Amino acid sequence: MTLQHFLSMGGYAAYVWPAYAVFFIVLIADAIAPRIRRRRVLRELRARIARQGVRQTRADSFSTTPSP
Amino acid sequence: MSSSSWIPLWLHKLGSPPIFYRFAGVVRPWAMALAIITGAIALYGGLVLAPADYQQGDAYRIIFIHVPSAWMSMFIYGVMGIAAFIALVWRIKLAEVVAMESAPIGAAFTFITLVTGSLWGKPMWGTWWTWDARLTSELVLLFLYLGVIGLYHAFEDRRQGARAAAFLAIIGIINVPIVHFSVNWWNTLHQGSTISIFGHSKMSGAMLWPLLLMMLATKFYYIASLFRRVRTDLLSLESGKDWVRQIAQDEARS
Amino acid sequence: MTEHQASLAPACAAMLRRDLTLAWRRRGDIAMPVLYALIVTMLFPFALGPEDTLLLRIAGGVVLVTVLLAMLLALDAMFSSDIEDGSLEQLVIAPQPLALMLGMKILAHWLTTALPLIVISPLLAAMLHLPVAVIPVLLLALLMATPLLSLLGAVLVALTAGTRRSGMLLALMLLPLCVPAVIFAAGAVAAAQQGLPWFSPIAWLGAALVLAVVLAPMACAAALRIALDA
Repeated sequence: MTLQHFLSMGGYAAYVWPAYAVFFIVLIADAIAPRIRRRRVLRELRARIARQGVRQTRADSFSTTPSP
Repeated sequence: MSSSSWIPLWLHKLGSPPIFYRFAGVVRPWAMALAIITGAIALYGGLVLAPADYQQGDAYRIIFIHVPSAWMSMFIYGVMGIAAFIALVWRIKLAEVVAMESAPIGAAFTFITLVTGSLWGKPMWGTWWTWDARLTSELVLLFLYLGVIGLYHAFEDRRQGARAAAFLAIIGIINVPIVHFSVNWWNTLHQGSTISIFGHSKMSGAMLWPLLLMMLATKFYYIASLFRRVRTDLLSLESGKDWVRQIAQDEARS
Repeated sequence: MTEHQASLAPACAAMLRRDLTLAWRRRGDIAMPVLYALIVTMLFPFALGPEDTLLLRIAGGVVLVTVLLAMLLALDAMFSSDIEDGSLEQLVIAPQPLALMLGMKILAHWLTTALPLIVISPLLAAMLHLPVAVIPVLLLALLMATPLLSLLGAVLVALTAGTRRSGMLLALMLLPLCVPAVIFAAGAVAAAQQGLPWFSPIAWLGAALVLAVVLAPMACAAALRIALDA
């Protein structure tokens, strides 16, 4: 069986290969979407922790400075 | 001491978000690896080793993705329904997450089923689409998945959205058999032709094993995809908790 | 105990009267679905051509789908004013069974939106040359199918009660659920048109309606409790 013969799928290549393409494209998209979302969630979370840290140190410095 | 006393305990432990997060993190790569290996073997068996069908030629090879996807579209709805039921009755956060994160995967498989079925139907029956009970039920299933996803995202409060969408998922379970029955009745009224996948020919073993292996591969894929989605969702739902902060900082360092 | 049971009937009547009075104050809103159905039906002959045979063949289905879409248009408003003024939350914590009260609200909604549509449906059918002999079957099918849609729709409207945008979402959720109702209602009309026995689809619709009358108000109450987080 040659590669040419395999790719032609007995004349049904126009139906078989698009079907397999849809299968893989949809599943790959399904696998990648949560990966991107996970990265975004963690990035936002780190930003929030950083903001809270800044606020915390600022609050500390206010409480230690004597009021006039 | 009966064995029933410890089962709820480990189930209860597994239901706690940080423990499930770690458990899913261990299982997921293995499930994905198994999905890729079994899927590759199944596709080699189906596309190369299996002989052409004497009636359908090589067009029948779409079966190796069409039938496993159709099976998964229903299987995932079943999982979603069970998780939705648990979420509504016991208000377990993990069950809500599993139900809501199953919906996009199920919708993906339903979409694949419809498209591949259409691509198979064109050379075999001469039409992209026919109003057969199975096809119509599958289309309704897709709308149900999309309805669940849409309702979930329409709420500002995500847990409330999850519970409302879980309720819709349970209504949908009742609906699918009714649609199937009513379209069958409709077909007898309009004398539509009923379609069978394989006329009278039986599947040979060389065609059967890749099909069964592909069903296994899609199951493994579902586990891998679901666990990745659930882990992501748990991170954003529990973002105020210490264990999530720990993970966020650990991953920033690495 | 007997006193409590006796107080249910007046409570139901009061709920029904309140909703009907409110609907009557906004008479224009009642006329809207009717006008919508008339205009949609009018578009079909223009789109498909005036041949009697074609119109006659599609008349039953067109009237059913038009009535369904007109009901969908009005469905969104079923609980919206009660959510805005907070009376729905009052209802949830009231001593009367929530399912029964919601059943009354659904009945009021059906009376104000579906009944006018059923009343004009012979006119819609006549616009498309449906034979006069078939019109009683069409009316019967609508009398069975429209309450079913109101009941199913009420559950979904209750589910979306906590959200802001819900119009298109409601359509996405309701239309798959009403496929069986459309099939049987249109099947009865088509059978009557061909001179075939049309009773069995009507009986199926009736059975579904009985089930829905019992179950849907309870499901609606549960859905409302979820959506309002009460």
